[in-house]
Order: sequence, then structure tokens, then C-alpha cells
Amino acid sequence: MTSLVSSWSALSDLGRSALEWFAGWGRIILFSAKLLVLALSPSSYRGPNLAALARHLVNDTAPILLWFTLLTSIISLVIIHIVVVTSVSYGLSRFALEMVVRVLVLELIPLTAAMFVALRCALPNAAEISLLNARGVFDGTSANYAEPLQREILPRVMSVTFSVLLLAAVSCVVAAALAYVWVHGLTAGGIASYTRTFGRVFSPALSLIFTLKTLGLSLAVGLIPIASVLYDRPNPRLRTSAELRGLVRLFFMILLIEIASLVGNYV
Amino acid sequence: MSNEPTPGSRTSESLEFRAALLVGLLVVLFAASAAYLLYARGVFEPSQRLVLLSDDAEGVTVGMDLTFAGFPIGRVRGIELSADGTTRIIIDVPRKDARWLRESSVFTLTRGLVGNTNLRAFSGVLSDPPLPAGAERRVLVGDATAEIPRLVSETRDLIRNLTQLTSTDSALAATLGNLQSASERIKGPRGALGVLFGNDADAQKLVVTLDRTNALLARIDGLAAKADQQVFGAEGLMPEARAAIVQLNAALLEARESLKKIDAILVDAQAIAGNARAASTDLAALRAEIDANLRKVSGMMDEVNRRWPFAKPAEIKLP
Repeated sequence: MTSLVSSWSALSDLGRSALEWFAGWGRIILFSAKLLVLALSPSSYRGPNLAALARHLVNDTAPILLWFTLLTSIISLVIIHIVVVTSVSYGLSRFALEMVVRVLVLELIPLTAAMFVALRCALPNAAEISLLNARGVFDGTSANYAEPLQREILPRVMSVTFSVLLLAAVSCVVAAALAYVWVHGLTAGGIASYTRTFGRVFSPALSLIFTLKTLGLSLAVGLIPIASVLYDRPNPRLRTSAELRGLVRLFFMILLIEIASLVGNYV
Repeated sequence: MSNEPTPGSRTSESLEFRAALLVGLLVVLFAASAAYLLYARGVFEPSQRLVLLSDDAEGVTVGMDLTFAGFPIGRVRGIELSADGTTRIIIDVPRKDARWLRESSVFTLTRGLVGNTNLRAFSGVLSDPPLPAGAERRVLVGDATAEIPRLVSETRDLIRNLTQLTSTDSALAATLGNLQSASERIKGPRGALGVLFGNDADAQKLVVTLDRTNALLARIDGLAAKADQQVFGAEGLMPEARAAIVQLNAALLEARESLKKIDAILVDAQAIAGNARAASTDLAALRAEIDANLRKVSGMMDEVNRRWPFAKPAEIKLP
């Protein structure tokens, strides 16, 4: 009798957790829709909102742009070297460049940029929002509910999204240039074949999936940590903080996006 | 009250400018990447269409290259299955590269062992008319892996045949056994002849025949030596025949001289005959003249007789 009761209790706990988990995702989607509406509103780009947006944009992107590019360049060089040497040793050197472009530009760099910005910017922003929330800044009973969202949350979300996009774009361009130089050397003779390889890799479908993936990653990194700290209810049974739960949600979403992108590209 | 910008507003303007720079950088990167991709996909390049027909387009993918002499000159834009089950591989060839394709060009689709597929064009006669836009050509399929099952099957047959050949009850083994017994008999007193005839008596007959043939050949040899002496010896037929021929030649020369003389005589006779013909012509004129004179004399005698008193009847006595 006791074991039956405990099993029922565990089952109901599991069901409640699952419901809360799905309800949390529902609140995040709702929150994202609100922010999207605010992002399309011209009033979000006027006066103090514009200044806040500019401040977050610069603070979240400029300090990390250079050394993230440097870091990805070094990692890219290592991966390019490994791929090229392996391809040559198996007599498949003509596929090396295509493989480098696929591995680096299509897969690794957008993912790395998203993870990097999530850890470097999104989580601190979420912690700040959590503090503001604790002070009741985003209290729903306030007369002007949209104003704190426009001033505090939208700039942070947009700056993080922008940061992911810019870091990914710059790193992709640098990695593509490094791959060319590594394979062909400092000569313009290989530009035609390299361009042709690029064109062959980036078919319309793959380009669309790549764009959607990068956009999805950047939006996920911008939205999910902040939405989690705002809408995840404190759970006394869990010893993790709201920021950490947000990070788990973010990684889960990144995993989903990656799987969807891989399925779209290669299946 | 002053209108000078405060440090806070200056900072805000600076931040906005830097943010604008970052946004501008992102926009430029996006625009440049999009333009480069469109260029790489050949959107800005005028091209003409080529359709390759094949029974099987396995391994052909959209975006793969059509190469000529190792250089990519076209790109697969689509693969269709026509109503009659033929595969249509649609290829865009840039106009600047279309000059390598001629009416007589041959297209091949080759599949390697590691799965790579290649579309190649071969133009043997570059002076032929250029390939028109939208042309449809059959593609020759060369599949290295398609040969493997047939090769394996034939190899299996070969091995089965070899096994049958080398088994203990096979024809080859029996033949080898016979060969061994034959070689044993070759080593015997009759040697290979005993193997050929199967028994010693027949082999002995052949030996006797050979001996008699040798003796016959020796006699024929002596006969030939004598005949040679008779024909070609110092007193043989040949020297006499040669002397007779020399004499015959001398006689022929003399006959030729005689004939020449006869020819000359005949020429003279011909001239005499000509003169005689001319003389007989003159003789006729002379006779006519004599006839005329005789008539005149006759007429004169008739006149004299008429006038003469002792005329006698007119009678002329010709000598």
C-alpha cells in the first residue's frame, strides 16, 4: 500500500514537472511574441530606448569581436589543417575545400558563436534582469508595462541576437579566407575554383537552412535566458538557479536547431 | 542655462555611432556574402542549357560540375525523369565556356569505385559547328562498379573450371597419367616410335622402311650424278647444243643478207616495170601517129592512082 502511494506520488510529480516544463515554453513563446511586437514598434528606437540599445549593442559585441575572431581563426586553422591532411592522405584532396567549408562555415562557427555569446553576454544579462525583476521593475500591475520591456529587456535581447549574428558572420568570412589561403596559398589563381566550390556547397536550400539556423540560434540565445529568469517559477525542490535552468533550456533549443538543420541539410 | 553637450550626451552619441558602425558592418557582410553566393551560383552569368539523356542518373547531384579537359564548364541544374523513363540531366553552361562544346562532342558519365561520379565532355573536332542552346544528347555511362558483379561471376566460373580440371578424376589428371606412361615408354628401347605405333613390330617395320629408303636415296643420288655428266659434261648434250645454236645464228645472218639482196632486186624490177609501163604508153602514141601517116600515104597513093594513066584498081599491098 505504501509503495503504491509513493509510486503514484512520483508519477504525479513527474506529470506536474512536465506540465510546468511545457507551460514554461509556452510563456517563453508568448514573451518572444511580445518582444517581437515591441521590436517592430518605432517607439523602441527613440530617446532613451535608442541610447540603451546602442549601449548594449556596443558593450555586448565590441569587446568580444576581435578576440573571438582571433580564437575562431586559430581553431579554424587547426581544423583546416586536419581536414586537408586527412583528405590528402586518403587521396580525396579535391573534396578537402568543400569539407572545410561545410564543417567550419556551415556547422561549427555559428554554433560556437551562439555558445560563446550565451556564456559571455546572455547569462550576465539574464542575471541583471533577474535582479531587476526581484526589485519589481517588471511588475505586471504597473501602468506602463511595455516601457521597462522596451528600456531594459528589448535592448539586451537585440544586442545578444545581433552579437551572435555579427560574430558568426565575421568568423565565417575569416575562416573562408583562411581556408582559401591554406589550400591555394597567397595567389589569386584558385579564386575561380574556390568560388565554384562555394557555389556548389551553398545550394539555395542549404543557404536557406543556414540562414534560418543562424537566425534561430541568435534568437534563442537572446530570448531564452532572459525569458527563463522572468517566467520560470522558483522551485524549492530544485537546487539550481533560474539562470542555470535558462542555460539548460537554451542548450536544449540549440540542440533542437542543430538537429533540424542537419536533418534539413543531409537527410 | 547652457546648450553645450554634457559628457553624458557625448558618451551617448559616441555609443550610437559605434553601434551604427557595428550594424553597418553586419549589413555590409550580409550583402557581400549574398552577392558572392549569387555570383558563385552563376546568377549573373549568361548561360545556355544542355540536356543529357541517360538511362540511369545514379550519383548525379544538382550542383555537380560538367568538366572539359579537367576544367568545369557547366553545372547540373536539375534532374528529371521523362515520360519514357529516360533521365534528363539539365545543365547550365556559361556562354563563355559553351565554345568548347561542338555538334560532335561526346558526353560521359563515369562512376568511380569510391562513389564519386563525373560528368565529362569530349570535343574531338573543335572546328565543328558549336552546340546549339537547348541541345539534347545521350550520355555514355561508364560504371566501374557495375563491372564488379560480372567480374565476380566470371571469376567464380573460372575457379570452378580450374577445380574441375585439377580434381583427381578429371580429364587433365588422366591425360597427365597417360603422358607419364608415355614418357616411361619413350625411355625404353624403341623410344618415341614405340609410343607412336603402340607395338614393337610396327616400329621395327618403320625402321626397315627407313633403311630401304636410305639405300634408294643413295642409288638415286648416283643416277643423278651420271645424268649430270651426260647432260652437262664436256662431251654432254649441252655444249653440242650450244655449238649448234651458234651455227644456226650464223646461218640466219646469211639468210638475212640474202633477203636484203632480194629486196634490192625487187626494187630494181619494180623500177623496170615502171619504165616498161611508160614505154608502152609512148608506143601507143607512136602507133596512132603511124596509123595517121599510113592513112595519109594511102590517101596520097589513092590520089596518084587516080591521076596516073595506068591506073590500076586501087589496091594497096602492105608489106
